[in-house]
Amino acid sequence: MMAGFMTLFAALTAVALAVPDPTEAQERGPLRIEITEGVIEPMPVAVPDFVAQGGAAREWASRIARVVADDLAGTGLFREIPSEAFISPITSFSSPVQFADWKAINAQALISGAVGMEGDGKLVVKFRLYDVFAGQELGDGLRFSGTTEGWRRMAHKVADAVYSRITGEGPYFDSRVAFVAETGPKDARRKRLAIMDYDGANVQYLTDGNSIVLAPRFSPDGQSVLFTSYRSGFPRIYLLNTNSLQLRALEEQPGSMSFAPRFAPDGRTVVYSMTRGGNTDIYTLNIDTGQTRRLTSSPSIETAPSFSPDGNRIVFESDRSGSQQLYVMPVAGGVPERISFGQGRYGTPVWSPRGDLVAFTKQSKGRFHIGVMRLDGSEERLLTASFLDEGPTWSPNGRVIMFTRETQGAGGQASLYSVDITGRNLKRVRTDTGASDPSWSPLLK
Amino acid sequence: MNAGHYISGAGHLGLIGWLLWGANFAPASDPFEVSEVSVISAEEYAALTAPDTMPEASSQAVAPTPPDTSEEAPEIPAAPDEEPPDSTDPTVTRQDDPDQAPDVSGLRPPDPAQADDTSPEMGAAPAESATLAPENSERPTPRPAPRVAPEPVAPPESDSQVDEVRQEERVPDEGGETPAEPQEATAPEEAATEIVTEAEESPEVAPSASLRPRARPRGATAVANTNPPEENTETDADAINSALEEALGETRQTAAPQDAAPAGPPLSQGERDALRVAVQRCWNVGSLSSAALATTVIVGVSMERDGRPDVASVRLIGSDGGSDAAARQAFEAARRAIIRCGASGFDLPEEKYDRWQDIEMTFNPENMRIK
Repeated sequence: MMAGFMTLFAALTAVALAVPDPTEAQERGPLRIEITEGVIEPMPVAVPDFVAQGGAAREWASRIARVVADDLAGTGLFREIPSEAFISPITSFSSPVQFADWKAINAQALISGAVGMEGDGKLVVKFRLYDVFAGQELGDGLRFSGTTEGWRRMAHKVADAVYSRITGEGPYFDSRVAFVAETGPKDARRKRLAIMDYDGANVQYLTDGNSIVLAPRFSPDGQSVLFTSYRSGFPRIYLLNTNSLQLRALEEQPGSMSFAPRFAPDGRTVVYSMTRGGNTDIYTLNIDTGQTRRLTSSPSIETAPSFSPDGNRIVFESDRSGSQQLYVMPVAGGVPERISFGQGRYGTPVWSPRGDLVAFTKQSKGRFHIGVMRLDGSEERLLTASFLDEGPTWSPNGRVIMFTRETQGAGGQASLYSVDITGRNLKRVRTDTGASDPSWSPLLK
Repeated sequence: MNAGHYISGAGHLGLIGWLLWGANFAPASDPFEVSEVSVISAEEYAALTAPDTMPEASSQAVAPTPPDTSEEAPEIPAAPDEEPPDSTDPTVTRQDDPDQAPDVSGLRPPDPAQADDTSPEMGAAPAESATLAPENSERPTPRPAPRVAPEPVAPPESDSQVDEVRQEERVPDEGGETPAEPQEATAPEEAATEIVTEAEESPEVAPSASLRPRARPRGATAVANTNPPEENTETDADAINSALEEALGETRQTAAPQDAAPAGPPLSQGERDALRVAVQRCWNVGSLSSAALATTVIVGVSMERDGRPDVASVRLIGSDGGSDAAARQAFEAARRAIIRCGASGFDLPEEKYDRWQDIEMTFNPENMRIK
């Protein structure tokens, strides 16, 4: 009995002495550190001219590479390394990349591409993306084919693929913007409906400028544009097919004014404001059947409605509380819930395509701002400040906001600006004329 | 008794009586003071109490009298050929155009200071003493810069090359016995500590929040490992068994070489911090999506003895908080940081190589997401 007890005691003592200290066990593993701080700066990227595969493609090789580089640098997330710094130019699409030469100029990403012409006259663009410091290709290379007229779209698609692969954001370069082109003095300004590539290229005018047009809004399929026109003497909503230029008046009720239209995600329903008997409320209209439905009935002014991406809710502005604020209500009906509570007046809310944010115009302390907030009103952040900023519209991926900025004075001019939702990369969008009321299309098919 | 006695008695009684009660018949003093007043109207009274109420706007503006000037009035230039402001302009308080050049006509350069070439004499350094920090420090004004880094960086000198580290210019000494390699001056790019939007830049808008305190260095945060390393899978039972065997004099036949205790003392906190700072200098999250910025990744890397990372060994060990795609982008950013800043070797003590030949770095972007 005693001997058994002593044996057990000896065994327990041996175990107690032999079990390793937990900290010692920790030291046996790899060294562990945690990185919580970093830097935020544009990533240096090299975009050498694409290799022309055949003499006919030489014309496009350099131009496509320039558009790709401009797209990437225009986001503010990338910085193009000038070609003068290149050590070894890429002369063949299939030859191995000399990573050491690109590391030496601190290129963190490299885009190698080639352009060729097929027998039927179609342009073929292919590219590969490399992580220079890891010395390996990122993802699989892609190949696009199209007409020579569509060379800019192919360049945008290359840039979209690179942008999405590196950042993880959705693409947005291959998209268009509808806007109001403005010419002439302020008291006799000519306003025409126009569409252009997202970067200001390929402008097409859709109306002649004989009547005032306002607030164009793209349909979810990007084929049509809703807008408000004074062609009948009063504001009315029209639907314009951007391909056939076929025009259709949507809502004509005597003694009323309709404005601020916007499509629902289904593309068949339009939400808009109508003023009747001095009261402005929000309505929906079925484009196919012409059936309308009144959503608000408050004696205050309700306007600027915008659908949520799932089509179940609407954000709008109202002065029912005494000052202009933002509200959210269910499409099926219900009590609107106020979401803006800051100082100043809030207007023109637009729901983000991601569904997580609302962009808005804010007037406070004599200045106008474009800002974003969450749907519960939290995390409000003002991105801009100027004499007059208004009318935000989201890029298809919900990362960039475009808006109208008007300068002060009798000679004040309206122009389009864009800004990243972080508040970085505020810049003017290149347009040949004055421009206002932008509406960003979905990504082109 | 004669009449004299009566008269004398009456006189004394009268005197005694006056002394006793005479004071009660003195005229009482006035209970209040009276001063002259003037009657005022209700309007005048309202004017006197005006500070407690809002002033009423007058509908009749009175033109102010121009000040008396003894000098001749300056010539007024002809009005510009501008149209009157459009009545459709938004009704906002107009601000001075910040782009307009300020009027500097009234300014004149300051008198040149009397410079003295002799350097001032420095007194003895004061004895070290504790000082009380002010309770409320001035709020720092955010300064916009295209680059955001943990520490603010002033714009580099114009002739300096942009580099991760600051180096002085070095010119080879021709007369020296061992001429040193020439070195151009390098300095990090200008950086702010957080993103400053145009709205926050505006001088009349005060920053809405004070600067956040910097996170203290912490140990690696445990996150869910999607692919836990094999050496950590040893269970408690295995450890007890192996310890028991060792204590009983038995040897394990299958001891893995990586289980051997590392030689040399562990890295000091300063050495670990130096490595952390070296990596974070190259950890650029500026081109990451919102989803990738919400993803923490653990990256493993094997190191060469000269402090350089083995590029092929950089691997994703685990991730937390995002999708696989977000984890991939976050890992690639972390990999770039390790390889770029380790290209010339991290400053690690060679005698402790066994301690750092394998490193697991946790990249937690939480602080970067809210900048």
